[in-house]
Amino acid sequence: MSAIEAVYIFDEHNNLLLSHTYTGRPSPPSVLLPLYLQHAAPRSSVLYFPALNPSTVLYSIIQDNLLFFSPSSGTDTGEPLLVLEFLHRVADALEEFLGSPLLASKIAGNYDVVAQILAEIADAGVVCQGEANALRDVVETGPGVLNNLLGKVGLPGNASVPGLSGGGGGSLGIGGSGGLQRPGSGISSLQPAQTAQGSAIPWRRSNVRHTSNELYVDIVETLSVTLAPSGRPLAAFAYGSIAFTSKVSGVPDLLLSLSTGGKGAGMGHRGDQLRSVMERTVFHPCVRLARWKSEGVLSFVPPDGRFALCGYEVELLGADTPLTAGKNAYSSLGLPAGVEVTTGLGTSGNDFEVRLTQPTNAGGAGSAAAASLQSNLGGGGGLGSRPSSFRAGAAGSGDSKGPSLENLVVRVPLPTAVRNVTELRPSKGEAHWSPVDGCVEWKVAAKDFGPMGAVLRCTIQGPLAADSDDAGAVMNGLTATTYDYNDDEPSAYQASEKTEKHSNGVSVPVSREAKVAKSRELMPTSSTLSFGVKGWLASGLKVESLLLDNKKSRGLGQEVKPYKGVKYLTVSREGIEVRC
Amino acid sequence: MESLSRISSLLETARDLTLEASASLPSRRPIKPLPPVQIKKLLDSRSERDVLDGLRRVIAMQYAQPPQPTLTFFPAVLKTLSNPYPSTRPLVYNYLIHHAELDPDTALLSINTVQKSLSDQNPRVRAMALKTMAGIRVPVISQIVSLAIKKGVSDLSPLVRKAAALACVKCVRLDETTRPQVEEYLAVLLGDKQYYVAGAAVQAFVEVCGTDGKLEMIHPCYRRLCRMVVDMDEWGQLAWLRLGTVYARRCFPRRTKRTKRVQTREQQAKDFYEDLEPREEEEQETEYDEQEVMDQDLTLFLTSIQPLLQSRNSAVILAVTKAYLYLSPATYLQHAIGPLIALLRSPQDIQQVALHNIVQVCLVHPQHFVPYQRHFLLKSTEPSDIRGLKLEILTLIFPFCSKEIQNLVLAELEHFSRSPDPSLVRESVRAIGRCAQSPNIATSRRCMTLLLNQIHSSDHNLVGEAMEVIRHLIQRTPNEHRKTVVRLAKNLDHLTSPTARASIVWLVGEFAGLDIGEGVAADVLRILLKGYVGEEEGVRAQIMLLAAKVYLGWLNSRKNTNGNDGAVDGGNADTGLISSGTNDDGEDRGFREERAVSEIEKPQPIELLWQHTLLLARYTPSYHLRDRARLYRALLSTPSSTELASLLLLAPKPVPQAPSPSEARRDYLLGSTSLIVGEGLRSVDSLPDWIEEGKEPDSGVRDEGEVRQEYGGKVEGAKEVSAGQRLDEVLATKKGKTLDAWLNDEEESEDESGSEDATSEEGTEGSSDEESEYESESDDDEQAGLVR
Repeated sequence: MSAIEAVYIFDEHNNLLLSHTYTGRPSPPSVLLPLYLQHAAPRSSVLYFPALNPSTVLYSIIQDNLLFFSPSSGTDTGEPLLVLEFLHRVADALEEFLGSPLLASKIAGNYDVVAQILAEIADAGVVCQGEANALRDVVETGPGVLNNLLGKVGLPGNASVPGLSGGGGGSLGIGGSGGLQRPGSGISSLQPAQTAQGSAIPWRRSNVRHTSNELYVDIVETLSVTLAPSGRPLAAFAYGSIAFTSKVSGVPDLLLSLSTGGKGAGMGHRGDQLRSVMERTVFHPCVRLARWKSEGVLSFVPPDGRFALCGYEVELLGADTPLTAGKNAYSSLGLPAGVEVTTGLGTSGNDFEVRLTQPTNAGGAGSAAAASLQSNLGGGGGLGSRPSSFRAGAAGSGDSKGPSLENLVVRVPLPTAVRNVTELRPSKGEAHWSPVDGCVEWKVAAKDFGPMGAVLRCTIQGPLAADSDDAGAVMNGLTATTYDYNDDEPSAYQASEKTEKHSNGVSVPVSREAKVAKSRELMPTSSTLSFGVKGWLASGLKVESLLLDNKKSRGLGQEVKPYKGVKYLTVSREGIEVRC
Repeated sequence: MESLSRISSLLETARDLTLEASASLPSRRPIKPLPPVQIKKLLDSRSERDVLDGLRRVIAMQYAQPPQPTLTFFPAVLKTLSNPYPSTRPLVYNYLIHHAELDPDTALLSINTVQKSLSDQNPRVRAMALKTMAGIRVPVISQIVSLAIKKGVSDLSPLVRKAAALACVKCVRLDETTRPQVEEYLAVLLGDKQYYVAGAAVQAFVEVCGTDGKLEMIHPCYRRLCRMVVDMDEWGQLAWLRLGTVYARRCFPRRTKRTKRVQTREQQAKDFYEDLEPREEEEQETEYDEQEVMDQDLTLFLTSIQPLLQSRNSAVILAVTKAYLYLSPATYLQHAIGPLIALLRSPQDIQQVALHNIVQVCLVHPQHFVPYQRHFLLKSTEPSDIRGLKLEILTLIFPFCSKEIQNLVLAELEHFSRSPDPSLVRESVRAIGRCAQSPNIATSRRCMTLLLNQIHSSDHNLVGEAMEVIRHLIQRTPNEHRKTVVRLAKNLDHLTSPTARASIVWLVGEFAGLDIGEGVAADVLRILLKGYVGEEEGVRAQIMLLAAKVYLGWLNSRKNTNGNDGAVDGGNADTGLISSGTNDDGEDRGFREERAVSEIEKPQPIELLWQHTLLLARYTPSYHLRDRARLYRALLSTPSSTELASLLLLAPKPVPQAPSPSEARRDYLLGSTSLIVGEGLRSVDSLPDWIEEGKEPDSGVRDEGEVRQEYGGKVEGAKEVSAGQRLDEVLATKKGKTLDAWLNDEEESEDESGSEDATSEEGTEGSSDEESEYESESDDDEQAGLVR
């Protein structure tokens, strides 16, 4: 009934890479792809093709430039979310085995592994195993395959592809090459995949062995902030995810406590505070919900390798912030950068100015931040520092001292009527106008971005028809000057101009107004700001401790103290939007 | 919704670089195609490595695009089954399943070997063999498969039992006649103590029997499944949610109890009985409150699925919402709103589906979403369908919001109505129009003002859209907007948008005083006719229509006066006009009188206008317009008979409805594909109605009597022991066990704490008894299974 009929995977050029049929006789990929491509570019993830026989519903996702299809033509077209989640799980599982990012060549080179994954993840179309890590027990990668793969996957830099090292996820790439110096991740001894007994824990493969035991917590928050033209925030959310990497032998039982960093104080005990900050949480099935409910801690037996432990969102404005909150509400969000747009500048109103600012945080700013970097962020002091329970050895560049801002990009989408952007004058960084996307992109290097902020001024040109007036004006000006030149009496010209101005005192502003009104249509209506901050979370959450319960854990020596690492990252992917 | 690949894409900032770097990455093996002969040689080799290599090549050929013929290797591949290597087996099985249908005879040769593996010592091998055997699509072997499943059902390893459950689906697909046997197996598996076997069994049941068949199989394990659902995997949970929702509709009649309301302490009572249905109007009419009386078992189901709202799987969250929405919206739905909002964090493909479903819930219960209005603010980077859905939600919750939020929403809509994207402009202007339908007069005035301001914009598209919406609003309450129409008519002087002009002309024709003879309409027509040549076709059509209406109105009034005259004294037109004017107010009469005097001498100006219009229309290039002009001319050719024309031209227009765009999808089931696609797909996913009172199966069928008897004495002590204590106990007693067995216990006790949590609200002793029975029993079971 709600069975998955088939999975088709296409590469970035829409060439079929793989087709796996589970059940029935679904429409072939060669039929579906043209129909899919007929739809306009942001394609819906659920499409219905009534013209096909049998009429088919096509579910699709795009992951890592690969296009995943799952057609459904049965009498019951099932639940869309089930199929979409399934496709995401397939992508996750492929990534677990083949490394991230998923590439067409990796799939093409490992058809045997991919085929087994697909066969195991759903049995005759009934989804039966969504847990990538548990698949490790059943998918036969064969002797030597992993080593072979490891040897060749090596990429430059420390930010290597989390390949199959340690039989699981692998190191996370955000540290950058100069970032975290994690102790050489020991390659776990690879035992034959088929173990006699099924793992007792559905999400963890059995018989995990690692020579060095490591635990990493990576908390990533994505910002979604909307600012009104006046600059006051309308909505501000941080969407957080905790990615956990566990490379510990046996079956560890972990306890992760987070703290709110002062937010939500006075809300009762710690767990309540935490829950008031982390809203609408979702958890990996391994998390014991009862402990979270009662104590606000995450207690779990992790899968091996890397997995998404938890997702949450934080309302940065606070639910009780009045809507009429002033402009300073933005700086109270504590974000490292802000952006303001002023439109309709210049004589004919076809200039606009983008101002990249550093909101001054009343509390933390002004401290002797030697570098011009983030005085306000560093002012928090403890914001990015590691809790004492973690070994200090893994201090990265952007971690303990002060959070580091990077990849500052402002995008200003312009209406399609804009023909050209004639002038781009950034005070810092680089700006360019791309006619294809119809937007101005301005990149500012983090080191250039000081407390003074930066300014970009642009002049735009409208469509040709609207330009004719301007041309006329230029003509007039030209004739006037030639006349003056011939006359050889500049002073007289100036005088005459003055008188003209006086006499036409009423009409001049009117024509300017008309011009401004005309160019108002060409003005941007919004702009977005993207950046990344390492070592800092917008929500102020912190990992307080990560304990390995030696008593409850199994298969781990008493004296084993796994290496632990924590990383924070706040990302804005066009997440801060200013209206204007 | 939490997908690891999404997080890693966030983490890898230099992703593009990586992509480039690894594009040049050498693949695992050199894809040097070998000739078939050589592959065969590899397959026949004695070395495991060679065989494996050969198999990999075959599989790669099978999946390669375009696929290469691999059927020729069938015998050679099957021969490798006799090898003792475990590593080759999955690949051989994969090949076998893929090719069995193409060459059934050869496939049958392998059955024996596979069957032998069914009694292998290793449970994983047994499970795999069972899975493969059921997957071979050769109908002849259906009985063998059925037997294999039977054996698997009683297997000691839960792994094999899970495989057996899934094999049931394939067996029925293979041969419909095995259904009775398979249903027997499923009945056993549904009662399995191991949660992931039960989960798979539920999936198989839904697949084999559908959600509407054979409820008697569910009765005995209903309560246990309710308690186990927290621990099942997500896919089992989904199947159970689907099944449970239908089951509840078919087994628990909807009972409502009318309780007399305590009038003096109304508020107090309300606070106390949180689950009272908030039906304000009804309460005022009657002295009674309607209260849902829920069957205890239904409550068990609804509370047991509540922890699933924190699942990472968006489909599960939605399925729980669906259960709450269709089973008990008053009591439980509010718990599901937050998690639904959480779905907006997920990747865009899921986000879109989630929004469709949120709209669906919002149509029925908008008030729940008011606190979350900030989540529905639009982003300029979103694709248009997501923006449309968000706008719809904003307008749906608009009437329930406080004034501040309403201002915010209107400002938002105004901002986006100035966007360069025409579709977004249309959406947001229409959204303003929907907001204007609010019963609050002040709000709807504000919206109207907002729209009226828009028509001065230089954006044609915006003006046209705004005018369209204004027209709808005026049509709804024409009497309030008489002056507005006049004011709009003034705008005709400088308005350039053709659609807007057409709308205004139409409005003038419809509402600007046709009934009082020559109101503004005639004058507007006069002015418009001067510029007729410069108008667009749409506007010309409207002008012509206006002319026809004005002329008709004039004819009618003249006829009336003539008629009146005849009745009075048959005198001249002068007195007739005056007498007709008595219906109107004095000022008007004076105007008419003056006019009427002049009418005598020369041809009527309106008549002239009409003639002129017809002349203009006759030489219009558009034959459509000429055609229409001919129609009107014919209609109005005889001044004395205007009944037909009045019927056609002055018919009262139906008030246009501007329902929420998703209103049309209201009947589709939450979470269904039809809802997203917007078309009723032929699907069986509609919920049955609540069963009638008295027809439901007896609640006794859900008793788990035997279990209680069997273990009744044992659990008394364990009843109030906390999870931690239990764990310690277990630790103390079970020192010498294997790791896996120990872990299983650990798992079980954890499960218990989870399920306890789920059922704690219920708080009946009986259920917690049963629960611990289930725990202890499965402990033993597992131990037995795993130590061996």
